[in-house]
Amino acid sequence: MAYEPVLTKHINEPNSYTLDFYMKNQRGYEGLRKALTVTPNDIIEQVKTSGLRGRGGAGFPTGLKWQFVLKDTPKARYICCNADESEPGTFKDHVLMERNPHLLIEGCAISCYAIGAKVAYIYIRGEFYHVQEILEAEIEKAYTAGYLGKNIFGSGFDCDVYIHRGAGAYEAGEETALIESLEGKRAQPRLKPPFPAVAGLYQCPTAVNNVETLCNVPLIVLNGAEWFAKLGPEKNGGPKLYCISGHVKKPGVYEASMHTTLRELIYDHAGGVLGDRPLKAIIPGGSSVPLLTPDQLDIPASFDGVQKAGSLLGSAGLIVLDDTVCMVWLAMNLLHFYRHESCGKCTPCREGCDWLYKILQRLERGEGRSKDLDLLFGVSNNIVGKTLCAFGDAAATPVLSTMKLFRAEYEAHVREGRCTLPAAWRAKQPLFAGAH
Amino acid sequence: METVTLTIDGLQVTVEKGQSVLQAAIEAGISVPYYCYHPGIGVDGSCRVCVVKIEKMPKLQTSCSMACTDGMVVSTRDPEVVEARAGVFEFLLVNHPLDCPVCDKGGECPLQDFSYTFGPADSRMDFPRRVFDGEGVRADVDFGPTLMLNRNRCILCTRCVRFMREVDGDAQINIVDRGYGSEIATFSEEGVHSLMSGNLMDVCPVGAITTRDYRFKSRPWDNPNVVDTTCTLCSKGCSTSAWLKAKPEWAKGSQLIRITPRFNPDVNSYWMCDIGRFNYHWIEGDARLRRPMQRRGTALEASTWHEVEPRLRDAVQAAGSPDPASVRFLVSAHASTEELFVLKQLVEGLRGAGGLTSIAVAWTRTAKNQPAGTRFTIPATDAPNVNGARDLGYRVGAGNEGLPDLEDLRTAIEGGRVKALYVLDPGPEGSIGDVSWIVAARQSGTLPLLVVQGVLMTDLCAGADFVLPGAAFVEKDAIYTNDQGRVQAASRAIAPPGEAREDWQILVNVAAALGLSLAYSSSDDIRRALATAMPGSAYAQAGQITFTRPVPAKSWLQSSNPSERWKWDFMFQDLPPVKGHNVQTEDMGREGAYIPLRAVE
Repeated sequence: MAYEPVLTKHINEPNSYTLDFYMKNQRGYEGLRKALTVTPNDIIEQVKTSGLRGRGGAGFPTGLKWQFVLKDTPKARYICCNADESEPGTFKDHVLMERNPHLLIEGCAISCYAIGAKVAYIYIRGEFYHVQEILEAEIEKAYTAGYLGKNIFGSGFDCDVYIHRGAGAYEAGEETALIESLEGKRAQPRLKPPFPAVAGLYQCPTAVNNVETLCNVPLIVLNGAEWFAKLGPEKNGGPKLYCISGHVKKPGVYEASMHTTLRELIYDHAGGVLGDRPLKAIIPGGSSVPLLTPDQLDIPASFDGVQKAGSLLGSAGLIVLDDTVCMVWLAMNLLHFYRHESCGKCTPCREGCDWLYKILQRLERGEGRSKDLDLLFGVSNNIVGKTLCAFGDAAATPVLSTMKLFRAEYEAHVREGRCTLPAAWRAKQPLFAGAH
Repeated sequence: METVTLTIDGLQVTVEKGQSVLQAAIEAGISVPYYCYHPGIGVDGSCRVCVVKIEKMPKLQTSCSMACTDGMVVSTRDPEVVEARAGVFEFLLVNHPLDCPVCDKGGECPLQDFSYTFGPADSRMDFPRRVFDGEGVRADVDFGPTLMLNRNRCILCTRCVRFMREVDGDAQINIVDRGYGSEIATFSEEGVHSLMSGNLMDVCPVGAITTRDYRFKSRPWDNPNVVDTTCTLCSKGCSTSAWLKAKPEWAKGSQLIRITPRFNPDVNSYWMCDIGRFNYHWIEGDARLRRPMQRRGTALEASTWHEVEPRLRDAVQAAGSPDPASVRFLVSAHASTEELFVLKQLVEGLRGAGGLTSIAVAWTRTAKNQPAGTRFTIPATDAPNVNGARDLGYRVGAGNEGLPDLEDLRTAIEGGRVKALYVLDPGPEGSIGDVSWIVAARQSGTLPLLVVQGVLMTDLCAGADFVLPGAAFVEKDAIYTNDQGRVQAASRAIAPPGEAREDWQILVNVAAALGLSLAYSSSDDIRRALATAMPGSAYAQAGQITFTRPVPAKSWLQSSNPSERWKWDFMFQDLPPVKGHNVQTEDMGREGAYIPLRAVE
């Protein structure tokens, strides 16, 4: 049975972002209307039954997250929509906000109703400037049409949606760092506990949800939890957006069910490896997850499927790597990113990322010594599990994963004193010399 | 008190509910390192060196942020912990310049101490270190009027950031840039402008923030003795420690090398203000009075006590014999309770029960410019003992809440009704307020006789007929009553200079010269008499108040922060031997004995 997209069905049609289009083609705001006729608890129950899991990376059940939000408190509650999509290889939320913004706005409103919040903040990535303009205009239209604001549909439910633009920090995508940034502070993670569900934004109970997650909420309310659950394998229900990039013929965002295998995604959806070269490795969930090898292509691209294969679905940013990619260079490239984006709050991540990058640079320059491999391994392990947030683990993963799967390449760099790939392939590799 | 019981390294520990595992471990004497944690400021959890293993928890946890729960089983010595901790210590030193030999913190540095104990033997780092503002001492940059900053040494624990935000109330410090480029900074590099700035050196666990006052002045092992005393520069009365240098000649003759706050939960917590911290140089300054002086013609000439006392008696008797009420007294509220008690007995002996009316008490008030949200307010009253004077029956008007009333005295002096004025001013300069009108009255002859018992060669002293050199607050054991009504002991750290004497003794001798026998041979005697004279008051126990003597200053931490006190026992046992020989403190070892005067020049 062919999969019928639900999130991105209309994104290539003209004016798909407008309210009119949304009302005409996507049963616009019917989900919200329907939600307001039942109790907030019913919504949470529906989302729990649907098995919706957070699309931001961790795959935590959304209904459960909402249930944890402290109800017995005089404080305000908040929904924070995490639109700080910064994970390398991930660009799905961007498409949703740009082409289908009302789905997100409706999702925000329903989610607010579910947890008893009156305000949702969309924390949008600083670079998404034009997306912010679209969102702002469409939020305004939603207000005018009475889908946001006071007493929506005469139900007595008030909901405001605000946009806050980030200043360009990857770490602001971490939920507590996002909250700090939203409060006007440096985007640095907080100690947990307390979790945001207890003390989040302005120390009030808060749920932080990804854009794609919130976009799924109106669909669940409208079509039912069972419809949603049946779209994918058990516990991996619903539509899923995959961002496929790297050495493929047709990079882009693809919507599929989580029954789909990695092979189908790469070869059927994305048209296969660029130039029909051999596939060397895949990063299945954005730059922070371990690599998978070509022999693992037939696993389902679901949260559980990818985890079983030894990696994580993460943000579903598939980075496809063909045989021209030097793995030491890959690790160095990624560490350049992590070293630059580490917030610097905790010691292992602040000092470790920079150190790892310098060692990788030395290896890539051909000046590595054999003890550098142990050093890389040792430093990485001193970061993993010792940091305040998950950033440290994410930063060490590219090193540990490439060393585990492609140690011979590292050894060759040391032995030969240079990258062992053909010179023609190496020419494309910048060394970030003198960066910072 | 609700308590919880947990096990740390096999040791059963019972602590108050809500305490962190780190606090529990410290209290139980178990050594867990920490940098971002400080008992006086909020938990941050960022340095990661206090990691411990807690049963049933999958990952290592930072003990500073983990609240104790009943039955919790904690290990600080599990191999996993030891390895993880060593890893973090390696990271901390990856970019630290290790310039300990020229660093003011070297020798009392938590980064040194904990690294030796918990860090790996060597570093695997072989890249050039991160450098911010230059290398070596060039890296020291201005950090406001009182501080210097060396960013290379900084380990970004953010204690300074949080101190300014939470305690000072004005978040002047923050981190700029991020990741490996993070650095401590102030807006537009303006530096820290705060009356609390000195505390930043205390909270800094490395040599990144140092005070200009103490910079390059001494090494910790050259300050072998410390005295727990009390600051007397305002009515708050912060508990402090006065540090004494072993070789005063290495610091231009000064023994007093720095003053640091001492934890007192009821008064000053872990902090003190810059006024108390930095305003001590006058005590051993060139303006100190070292010998009694008397006027001969237009000049003041140095004299001796046995010469001055009879002449003073003659002068006072000559001036006061027609009308005893024409002898008046002006006393600074910097005078200790003992001195006020003796002075009261002196005037009552001379003039009967109403004698106190002849004494005016003086002090100054200065508005301290502090942020609205500060957690440490510095009182406006600059004197330590207005309440002590009030308790003894002196007229102090609105007390700490107001200004002294000297109008009566001034009118009397300017009206020529005062024939002799005796001023007691134990410093610092200016603390008795504006007395230029007294100087003017003496110069014009309206006031025929001026006696000043003081510590500094002020304009007032310069105009006096007799100058009696007294002792500054760190030179005598004395009690002061702070603005909370708390009777606090300020211990003697050093001896008065030259022939200067403790003020109570000068007063007793003056009384004797005037024919009054006040049988006190030590300040202890006075406190016992005070206790007897004021039963049922806050002074009833004054006779039992204990004063400390200079003790080996094992570490700055030990005397400034009791929750870190255990560290000494673990790590500082190999303190280098004290250089030189401190005559002063040797004398002080004699319990209760009066310390013979001895020139320290």
